[in-house]
Amino acid sequence: MLSLWLGAYDQGLAYAGLALGTYLTLRVLNFPDLTVDGSFALGGGAAAMLISEGVPVPLSLAMAVFFGFLAGMVTGLIHTRLGVNELFAGILTTTGLYSITLRLMGRSNIPLTDTPAGILHLPDLGMGLDGRWAVGFSLVVFGLVLLSALLLATDFGLALRALGNNPTMARANGINQRRGLTLGIAAANGLVALSGALVATYQGFADVTMGIGSLILGLGMVIVGESVLRPKSIPWALGAVVLGAVLFRALIAMALQLGLEPVDLKLTTALLLLVALAFGRLRLPGVSDPGGTHR
Amino acid sequence: MSLLVEQLAWGHPLPGGDWQQLFRDFSFHCPQGQFVVVIGSNGSGKSTLLNLVAGTLKAGAGSIHLGDRALERRRDHARARWIGRVMQNPLEGSCPGLTVAENLRLAERRHRPALGWGGLVGLHPNGVDRRRYRTLLEDLGVPLAHRLDEPVGQLSGGQRQTLSLVMATLGSPELLLLDEHTAALDPRAEASVIALTERLVRQLGTTTLMVTHSLDQALTYGDRLVMLHEGRLIGDWTAAEREALSPEALRGFYGTATMVNPAAQSSDGPASP
Repeated sequence: MLSLWLGAYDQGLAYAGLALGTYLTLRVLNFPDLTVDGSFALGGGAAAMLISEGVPVPLSLAMAVFFGFLAGMVTGLIHTRLGVNELFAGILTTTGLYSITLRLMGRSNIPLTDTPAGILHLPDLGMGLDGRWAVGFSLVVFGLVLLSALLLATDFGLALRALGNNPTMARANGINQRRGLTLGIAAANGLVALSGALVATYQGFADVTMGIGSLILGLGMVIVGESVLRPKSIPWALGAVVLGAVLFRALIAMALQLGLEPVDLKLTTALLLLVALAFGRLRLPGVSDPGGTHR
Repeated sequence: MSLLVEQLAWGHPLPGGDWQQLFRDFSFHCPQGQFVVVIGSNGSGKSTLLNLVAGTLKAGAGSIHLGDRALERRRDHARARWIGRVMQNPLEGSCPGLTVAENLRLAERRHRPALGWGGLVGLHPNGVDRRRYRTLLEDLGVPLAHRLDEPVGQLSGGQRQTLSLVMATLGSPELLLLDEHTAALDPRAEASVIALTERLVRQLGTTTLMVTHSLDQALTYGDRLVMLHEGRLIGDWTAAEREALSPEALRGFYGTATMVNPAAQSSDGPASP
């Protein structure tokens, strides 16, 4: 039983990058970015391919971040330079990324049999391999949250927040909307790709379809975290998003524990998000469509 | 800096495929430090003129110079380094999700590109900033000094517009554009914001274009009053000439397609006071 919850904790932290990326695009930039479905799989696939080719894990993870960054940049450029609608820009990139990921991987599935050596050097806290993963992921996610909080606390971050809050005013204050959106979406997809890579290394394989439903998953994590902690500051919001990722995975683990088939996982995710949205609507006005409150 | 608009042309398509040409060969000169009040009926081109100068609309032809800089070659976010702007809607002039201090920081950083490497260096808004902003607001007599850490979304319309005005003038812009910035305010807030406007413009000596529908404001504030009709300058008065005008007389000029006073025929208009 402990192993189940520890596994959920590990998975939640592995998915934290996805939740942070979704928070950055959806909440900070106010940009519904569908690229995440593609960049999650791209990150996982690229990292798995590189690791299987003998590239050191840290370098493979860094390359995954770079590929995700490029994918986000493509969406940003399609939207800001060609004027393509934000949803279509994301769909276009994601569609293209499927082939690119498949090309990179060379096949639809890459197994990773060995646990990264770095993980084996970490203390296990008396809980075996899952304990080592928990320590490793905790360190990585703490670093990500710290880095994101620092980034958002700079003038650069303030400019991104202003763009999501009031683009007209942001431009009137000298902020280049094209550059800001493009860099913001790119950074978010870098985080998402890192998450894909961490998930692939943790679960021991990467699949070209592993990104399907990532946006919904990330959104659910953000909403659950915000509903629980009701953050009032940026560092607090980032912490809430990570907590949301862990809680969301715990909810899925609970559903599986109750006898749900793994094949129903996506349906479970969608239903959990629906519950989270309804929960958010009740406790956080403005999270979901206010039209839904009409009787 | 002086503002020089020369042979400006701008139009827009109408539903049904027709074309509405609003500005045709429009020229206008505003000497450095002059405070110009712009009036005119709806659709006369007042806000469009401000949008063309600010760069949110692109002129079909002509040139716009601020000092020796050709503004039409710069994008709107680049023009923002020299132009402060307050919009009509109090919701548009600031970021409701950011705090008062963060909004001030944004405006203060207007002259430096925040999205470059330099933007990653500066942390905001630290203790030094907060103290400075508090002093700034207290010196201006703006009752927001104790609300620096509150989200702007919690402020009233008048307070937001006051903040927008302070933001627009932060860092002494070379041109200030005020687009009916008191139109959405109650009389008390309107009086407060217009008094602050007058004080800031005089203190900074900024070249200013203020669009208004208030004839009281038109007859009270500024060094010069101009009237637009269908994209043409039909009236142009110095502050001294304006003394002879009454609200009734001014109201009578609305909708007039002919020249109201001869000075309007000159692109330079009346001399700077």
